[in-house]
Amino acid sequence: MSTISPRAYAAERTIGRLLIGITYVSVGLLAIGFVLMIANGISPLDPGPPLDVAALGAQLVALDPAGYLWLGLLAVIAAPIVRVLVASVAYARDADWTMVAISVAILAVIAIGVGIAVAATV
Amino acid sequence: MLVGLLMVAGGVGAGAFGALLGLGGGILIVPLLTLGFGLDLREAVGVSLVSVIMTSSAAAGVYLERHVANMRLGMTLELFTAIGALVGGSIAFLLDERLLSFLFAALLGYVAFTMARPRTTPVADEGPAADVEDPELRLPATPPTTLDRLSGQGYRVRHLGRGIVGATFAGVVSSLLGIGGGIIKVPLMNLSMGVPLRVATATSNMMIGITASASAVIYVIRGGIDPYAAGPTAIGVFLGATVGSRLAHRVDVRLLRMLFVVVLVYTAIQMLLRAIG
Repeated sequence: MSTISPRAYAAERTIGRLLIGITYVSVGLLAIGFVLMIANGISPLDPGPPLDVAALGAQLVALDPAGYLWLGLLAVIAAPIVRVLVASVAYARDADWTMVAISVAILAVIAIGVGIAVAATV
Repeated sequence: MLVGLLMVAGGVGAGAFGALLGLGGGILIVPLLTLGFGLDLREAVGVSLVSVIMTSSAAAGVYLERHVANMRLGMTLELFTAIGALVGGSIAFLLDERLLSFLFAALLGYVAFTMARPRTTPVADEGPAADVEDPELRLPATPPTTLDRLSGQGYRVRHLGRGIVGATFAGVVSSLLGIGGGIIKVPLMNLSMGVPLRVATATSNMMIGITASASAVIYVIRGGIDPYAAGPTAIGVFLGATVGSRLAHRVDVRLLRMLFVVVLVYTAIQMLLRAIG
C-alpha cells in the first residue's frame, strides 16, 4: 500500500485548484465568444472557421467571436495536459522517476497524435 | 439567436441528466447534436469531447483537492487510455459515418440495458479504511512492488494487466464515439482491480480529461471541431453539470433513471435508423 508524501499531497491540491481555475477561465472565454456570436447574428449551425493560431491575437483584438471561442476551446483541451505537466514536475521533485517516466510517456503519446494529425492534413 | 439558446439549453439538459445519473453528458450530446440539430456525426463527436473534458476537469479538480482520486493509478492507466484515444482518433476519420452511428446505437443500447436491470451492491466499497486488519493491507517489509505503489489507503490494487487492456479499449471507444468512457473505467477499476467505488469514480473522472484531450487535439487539427457549435454546447453542459451535481442529493433518481432508459432506447433506435440510411 502506498503512502502519499506531504509534497505530493500539496501538489494534488495545487493541481486540483489549477484545473478548476482553467475551467472557469475557459467558460468565461466561451461565454464572451457566444455573446459576440449573438451580437453578430451568427448561428451555431453556420460553418465556423478552422483554428488559425497565427490570427488568434488579431481576432481577439477585433472582437471576432471565433477568436474567443477557439481560445476557450484550447484552454479546455489544454487543462488535462497542463495537469500532467505539473504532476510530472511534482513527481520529479519527489524523485519518483517511475511516475515522471509515465507522465512524459503520456505527453509523448499526445505529441505523436498531433504529429499524425498534422501529417494527415498536409 | 434562437438556435444558439436552444443549443445551450440542450447542453444544460445533457449535463444535468449526466450529473444526476453519474454518467457524464457525452452519451447524450452526440444524439442531441446529430438528431436534434442535424450536425455531422464526427463533428458532434468533436463537440462532445470538448464538453466531456470541461465537466471532467471541473469534477477532477474538486476530487484532487479533496484527495479522493488515486492520481498515481489514474496516470498509469491514463497512458493506455491516451494510446487508445490516439488509435481511435486516427481511425475515426477513416470509418464510414453509418458504421459510427451503428456503434453509437449499440453503446446506447448497452447503457440502457445496464441502467434498466436490477442494481447489485458493488464489490468493494466504501472508501479508505485506515484500520483494516487484512495482512495484505499492511506496509510490506520488502521493497514495495508496482501494485503496492499504485494502491491507496485501505485497498490494494490487483490485476493491473486487465486494467491496462480495459483502459486502452476505453480510450478507443471514447475517441470514436465522443464519450468520457467512465461507463467502462469505473466498473473496470471497481470490480476487476479492487478499487473502492468512490475512488474509482473520482479516478475515472480525472482520467477522462486526458483521454478526451488526446483525441480532441486530433479532431481540432483535422477540422473536426466547429467553434460555433462547440461554444454554446460546452457552456450549456458545464452549467447543467454544475446544477445537476448540486441537485443530485435532493432528487429521487429512480424515476429519472427509468425516463433516461426510455430516452436512451428511443435514441438508440433513431441512431440505428440513421445507420441503416
